[in-house]
Amino acid sequence: MTKPAYWKRMGLMAAVFLVLALVPLSGVPSYQFYILERGLQNLLVVLSLVILLGYTGQLSLGQAGLVAVGAYTYGILCVNYGLSPWLGLLAAPLMAGLVGVILGFPSFKLTGPFLVVNTIAFAEIVRILILNNEKLTGGPFGLNRIPTIVSGLRLYYFMLVVAWLAAVGTLRLSRSHIGLAFKAIREDEVAAESMGVHVRNYKLLAFVISAVLAGLSGVFFANLAGYLNPDSFTFNESSTYLLMVVLGGMSNVTGGILSSLAVTSLPEVLRFMARSRMVVYSLILLLLLRYTKVLQVENLRRWMRRLRAAPPQQGPAAGPGQAGDVAASSATAGRDKVTG
Amino acid sequence: MGLHAVLQILIQGLNMGLIYALAALGISLIWNATGLFNFAQGDLLTMGGFVMLSTFAHLALPYPLAFLLTFAIMGIIGYLLSQGYFYPMFSQGLHPDIIIIGTVALTVLIQNGILLFWGPSPQRFSTPLGDNPVHLGKLIVMPYYLWNIAIVVLLVALLQVFFKKSMLGIAMRAVAQRPVTALLMGVRVSRLVALTFLLATGLAAIAGILIAPIIPLIPEMGSLVSLKAFAAVLIGGLGSFAGALLAGVIVGIAEVVFATLVVSTYKDVFIFVILILFLLIRPRGIFSANISEKV
Repeated sequence: MTKPAYWKRMGLMAAVFLVLALVPLSGVPSYQFYILERGLQNLLVVLSLVILLGYTGQLSLGQAGLVAVGAYTYGILCVNYGLSPWLGLLAAPLMAGLVGVILGFPSFKLTGPFLVVNTIAFAEIVRILILNNEKLTGGPFGLNRIPTIVSGLRLYYFMLVVAWLAAVGTLRLSRSHIGLAFKAIREDEVAAESMGVHVRNYKLLAFVISAVLAGLSGVFFANLAGYLNPDSFTFNESSTYLLMVVLGGMSNVTGGILSSLAVTSLPEVLRFMARSRMVVYSLILLLLLRYTKVLQVENLRRWMRRLRAAPPQQGPAAGPGQAGDVAASSATAGRDKVTG
Repeated sequence: MGLHAVLQILIQGLNMGLIYALAALGISLIWNATGLFNFAQGDLLTMGGFVMLSTFAHLALPYPLAFLLTFAIMGIIGYLLSQGYFYPMFSQGLHPDIIIIGTVALTVLIQNGILLFWGPSPQRFSTPLGDNPVHLGKLIVMPYYLWNIAIVVLLVALLQVFFKKSMLGIAMRAVAQRPVTALLMGVRVSRLVALTFLLATGLAAIAGILIAPIIPLIPEMGSLVSLKAFAAVLIGGLGSFAGALLAGVIVGIAEVVFATLVVSTYKDVFIFVILILFLLIRPRGIFSANISEKV
């Protein structure tokens, strides 16, 4: 990413967060506002996946497990042990980060679909453990009366600031040497290793950063819902997070922010359809995935240029790697199978 | 514990195992043909069960007819999914991870679709043999266990003949081994990929029909079954049909043995831990497939 493009993104992101900061002033009904808050909470998971999948190329379908670890660590510490919520806020991401280390180790050996199965199995194990350790977690009855860090509108602004910091951090990461190492691993592990990138350490780091963000999101989930139940952390949650990050452009932070807010509110927008809304919702997601290629920012830009009847030759601005999209760069490296 | 108790557990485990094996076989077929992990396999299984519920229990068609109709309906759905959704994504050269996520989105669609059409309550139907336990000496067996074993054995024999003798089956194997070469030999790869999806979805549907007497059908059961089937595929060796069958049976028996002898609440954890250990220690599985490496 060139320097002006980087600052453009920072500005765009700041604008998005500014708009979000103004939303409560417009008197949104409380339920819609709650959905917005959930969107902010999901945003942190999406950022965790931007780092893990977008930058490092490690596909994970176990994020819900990490969110659950964060949420339950906070809940158990605050409810069962009466810890201050602020300490819970510190402890939960730490715990999630530790679990992230465990989740990260298999990634040394496994890639692609193997890693996915591994992460799903991990998330299921977490869920079953929560379900069956009733003394600690409340099991199927859930964990009740979870205290909040700060209440009401202050919680929203607190989340907003944390989310903004996380987003800025994620964007800055992409330009730092750590982020470049992540991307090198994504493009070619062997080449990265031979350029002096310690692949194992960086993979582990990606998993830990990602787990910490997911754990933080878990804390906010516990704060927003006030009640925890293992059903909130199923495979479906993990897959929704993954869809959000793909629709946002995988390594595109601003895109991820917008898509997490949009996908979170989509079922509510479709509420007028009553019972069939979830079917319509998943159909929309399927179609968006089917046409991700068409929807990519670069392709849209190319079309815009064509519409403006610009000179026929393509400018260098559309080169791959500019937006760093996984899909764009790997289209050429795609398997030769079946494309015939 | 006497011998007959052991046999009892084994029969029960074998049944679950054969069902996982059928789902695993479908996953293996699709992987061989396209290099895609179809995470929706378990949900296609559930859907097959529910289609059978409609044709057999609600429309009251005779069992064989309902069975074939379910296979056909689900097969066509698989064919259309491939032609209309997955194959175009392959030929666009999309990142394989995105297509995998497509199968994940499909699971969400199928689960919600089932919820919409058939409702959330658990559903069950039986086999033509009824629900009265059969006494075999000291052994007491539910008749659907015997029925399921018979159907799967027959099915595997048919598949064997199909893949070894029929032109179509040989073409499918050719696509799985060398897609480009198969194309040069005049095999229509896109259609064969679609036919593979048809077969895989049909197999999942049959597994769904067979699971219904044992475990009542609920819309969201597919995720867990998918994961067990994936465990079978990976433990057995990715791409190997014999491995998928054998490991499916192993997974089923291990699950039931663990549930009866140790603790039933952690039977899924047990399987997943075995899966993760296999992935870490022997990622190629028991049988490594004799087709080219596809990573």
